Amino acid sequence: MPWQTFAASAIGKYHIDNNIPCQDDFAFRVVGDVLIGVVCDGAGSSAHSEIGAKECSRSVLDSIEMNLGEGESTRLETVCGRDNLEGAVDVARNRLQSMADEKGFAFKDLSCTLVGCIASSRGGCFFHIGDGFCIAEFDGQTPIVSLPENGEYANETYFVTATDWAARLRITPLPEARYGRVALMSDGAAPFVVSRERTGFFGPFIDPVASYLSGVTQEDGNKALGDTLADERTYAITGDDKTLLIALLK
Amino acid sequence: MAGIIPDVSLIDNSDERAPLVLVLDCSGSMEGPPINSVNEALRHLEEDLKADPITAKRCRVKVIAFGGDDEVEPTEWQDAMDFVVEELEASGRTPTGAAVRAALEAIEAQKEEMRAAGVSYKRPIMMLMSDGEPTDDWKDAAAECRAAEAEHKVTVFAIAVGEDANKEKLGQFSSKGAMHLDGLKFKELFIWLSRSVRAVSKAVKGEAAQLPPTDSWATAETN
Repeated sequence: MPWQTFAASAIGKYHIDNNIPCQDDFAFRVVGDVLIGVVCDGAGSSAHSEIGAKECSRSVLDSIEMNLGEGESTRLETVCGRDNLEGAVDVARNRLQSMADEKGFAFKDLSCTLVGCIASSRGGCFFHIGDGFCIAEFDGQTPIVSLPENGEYANETYFVTATDWAARLRITPLPEARYGRVALMSDGAAPFVVSRERTGFFGPFIDPVASYLSGVTQEDGNKALGDTLADERTYAITGDDKTLLIALLK
Repeated sequence: MAGIIPDVSLIDNSDERAPLVLVLDCSGSMEGPPINSVNEALRHLEEDLKADPITAKRCRVKVIAFGGDDEVEPTEWQDAMDFVVEELEASGRTPTGAAVRAALEAIEAQKEEMRAAGVSYKRPIMMLMSDGEPTDDWKDAAAECRAAEAEHKVTVFAIAVGEDANKEKLGQFSSKGAMHLDGLKFKELFIWLSRSVRAVSKAVKGEAAQLPPTDSWATAETN
């Protein structure tokens, strides 16, 4: 398997202090040589956004997996096409709507952002609604990033549940690659994972993390990543939940 | 195996700001105990902003004192962690309109600067405090201030101090009207303000910041 993938979420200090659950969630799967990763960050203003984030991340993952079919034989340009990705988000929105109806929630109660990747050595893409951050660093080349999109103020962003979601869906193609690393994250993790210039990784964070993860099992790696994201030093950086998915391409 | 990945650097590379502007009446009627209380309260504000590491980093403060011969004296913007309070003195008239206009301009100029530098920011807070009534052409400035508030450019708190404050005129600077300070509880007011800035600094997405209750310093009367 060309991908070694790790992911973890850690609840933010603001959430702990205010008795709010962790509203980030993630899902990933490797299908053939293709990594599908999704991170969703539930809106702080939405009553059940942790459920929205969980459902949305799983639903989008399932749809993309279905589109991929047998993996290696599938044309990635098709799977990464806007029609397919909008379709995957639309399915997730329908699932959120049914869930809201079933449980007596408002649709907006399940609001979350979407950060995702379809990545392989044959190419792929990032897809993104709202804030959060994606970075791909391949073959020692300049990193490819998908930046957060906010309203005027930093706490205003765009959600999968918004009516203009399709206009907010941003797709960034990824090139062919031999080796490297890909990361998806919620906006709580970005301040210490991303460089000050926001053009790639912050080396003093990612280098020790990647080097450690490359030598451990997925289970140990996920645990250590989770503990690192939960470190009290992050409390001075953000009050928000922190989710990070890191995939190493060998 | 468990525990933190060794040798990992966890530092904040992000630039995010929560601007705070204090527009403070330093006219002659503030002389004596009122201005002394304000100065003391400012020192508490400084201390409290610095006490929270995220707020200390994110909050940017500007103090605009008005009084004298219709004078408006703004300080430079300061990061809360570097914020050093300057002693205010009271004398002269009450150019509230000019001071608020200067605050609105400073806020938009600061936003422009932050945008150009790729710095994200939270909605600025302006606190306007006065113990009297405006002696300048204030009506247009009040209308501009209300409009800025309505367009979500700034959050405005208008605070009336003492019995001689014209709460009706002061209230025209915000759609919420003016609140009345209980006695000289400036310290409580400024601590509340600091806690409000903390809430704004950490406001989570999709959510307006939840500000703390005002009962520690405001009189119970309604507007």
